[in-house]
Amino acid sequence: MAGRILAVVETEGGRVRESAYELVGLARSMAEAGGGTACAAVLGADPAAAAREVASRGADTVFAVKDPLLTHVTADGAVAALKALVSAQEIGVVLFSHSPMGWDVAPRLAAAHGLPALTEVVGVEGAGKTWTRMMFNGKLQVKMELAGSPLVATVQKGAFPAFEGQTAGAVEEFAPGLSAAQVRQRFVEVVAAPKGKVDLASAEVIVSGGRSLGSAEKFGIIQELADALGGQVGASRPVTDAGWLPHEHQVGSSGVTVKPKLYIAAGISGAIQHIVGMKQSGYIIAINRDKEAPIFEVADVGVVGDLFELVPALTKAVKEAKGKG
Amino acid sequence: MKIAVCVKQVPDSDATLSVNAEQTWIEEAGINFEINEYDRYALEEALKLKDAHGAEVLAVSIGPDRVGQALKTCLATGADRAVHLKDAAFSGGDPWSNATALAAALRPENPDLILCGLQADDDNLAQTPVILAEMLGVPHATGAMKIDRSDAGLRVERELEGDRREVVDLPLPALITVQTGINEPRYASIKGIMAAKKKEIATPAPSDLGVEPSAVGRAGAKITFSGLSHPEKKEGGEILSGSLEEITAELVKRIRENTGVL
Repeated sequence: MAGRILAVVETEGGRVRESAYELVGLARSMAEAGGGTACAAVLGADPAAAAREVASRGADTVFAVKDPLLTHVTADGAVAALKALVSAQEIGVVLFSHSPMGWDVAPRLAAAHGLPALTEVVGVEGAGKTWTRMMFNGKLQVKMELAGSPLVATVQKGAFPAFEGQTAGAVEEFAPGLSAAQVRQRFVEVVAAPKGKVDLASAEVIVSGGRSLGSAEKFGIIQELADALGGQVGASRPVTDAGWLPHEHQVGSSGVTVKPKLYIAAGISGAIQHIVGMKQSGYIIAINRDKEAPIFEVADVGVVGDLFELVPALTKAVKEAKGKG
Repeated sequence: MKIAVCVKQVPDSDATLSVNAEQTWIEEAGINFEINEYDRYALEEALKLKDAHGAEVLAVSIGPDRVGQALKTCLATGADRAVHLKDAAFSGGDPWSNATALAAALRPENPDLILCGLQADDDNLAQTPVILAEMLGVPHATGAMKIDRSDAGLRVERELEGDRREVVDLPLPALITVQTGINEPRYASIKGIMAAKKKEIATPAPSDLGVEPSAVGRAGAKITFSGLSHPEKKEGGEILSGSLEEITAELVKRIRENTGVL
């Protein structure tokens, strides 16, 4: 493997998103292991400034992929532009973040070359020969190999360290020459998701419940423990999707990222989407009946058992402890 | 308007998983399967469009006999027809060969819209629908939290990180993958279950779809999976044991010592 490894940089309002440096760091370590070059691509109508920033932080060559049709990145626009770049620059590996942009663009770029992508990878061996990812929502891991070029992969956020050093890479402008007919999606705007009143982000104590609660009514025991601790109620995605609680209670990558002093997860298995939103909490207690649940890996202390028994008993014990002051 | 919905049957979320001898997939015996959560939302979105604008809804799935139950549920919930790719040649595929099979099944149907879940709760690969869109030559959008008819075709709100959404217009025909939470999936009614008995589930073989058996299923897969296993546990916290009283007393002690909350 090796050759030229391309990190596709995401920007937001012209600024480089921090996750891009995780891709750049991975590109560098793969390039070093396989004797290749760490490259990056910044897409936009005027990507020069962001491209210079990436060139100063890890990439040997940054392609400023410049086209008026990339003012807003769409799936068709990004695929067409990157396909042209891959072909012109003989790119062997293309890395995306496993993000709303990554899952929109990466599989289609791969498919345009007659290949599937390798998605949400968490490990790479042999300079890109073997890749590792999780399956079954974090319960199992698997290795993957794929022959063909370019190898397109999306990388789980946080799985690789961000590149932190200073470098003096080169910036090369690349004009993909897009035509309007190639871009079928039309960007309209970015809007805020509908918002509620709960502010989990500043809560000191959060007690979260998961799918195992079974219904909206049964969340009462979670609320009682949160009340006893003077905290707020959080939830995993299945709970808010089912409408048991409003969306503003959702902790995780598609909800709120929280950092309370105390986080109690009851009946939450710990899908990565949830874990990224709460793993920085000061102290984490997990209660789950499945001893294999990934939530126990991030917990400071865990209890394997029935939450309907444990949570009310803990509420009682907390109240008694407060009584004793 | 014709809407195709791709559904996958996956192990239920509480299933205890063991790995097969080749370490390439789970041991399926003894596991309960259910419709992938994301796909239930995709089906509901199709049924909502059908209710509002009129549409024929076609459910498509790949897999062995057990998948027939998932398609019956789709029909009972309101889909009009189903295609079950259950020939042994279709089994064991990867996103590439599964997209190849779905493309072969959908090309003669020529749907205006294809709806899929963002990802499946078994392999979590989140790419078969996007590959399918490329194979069919239609534009796509992933992770929809809202879909409306518009002059151009459809207006889609894609979920971004940080509680934001990207609004894009898509011309038809198109493929859209949906996020969970986009709607409230309905359940089958008794009337629906009765009506479903008269609905057709087609079971075409590869030759009926004009696709080589070697292009689909395990034979057509491009990704080689190996070493499927339970991950080595990271250094997680201590697991408490004891009586209920002992455990809750210990938790209170730790909350007090470690958080300053009590």
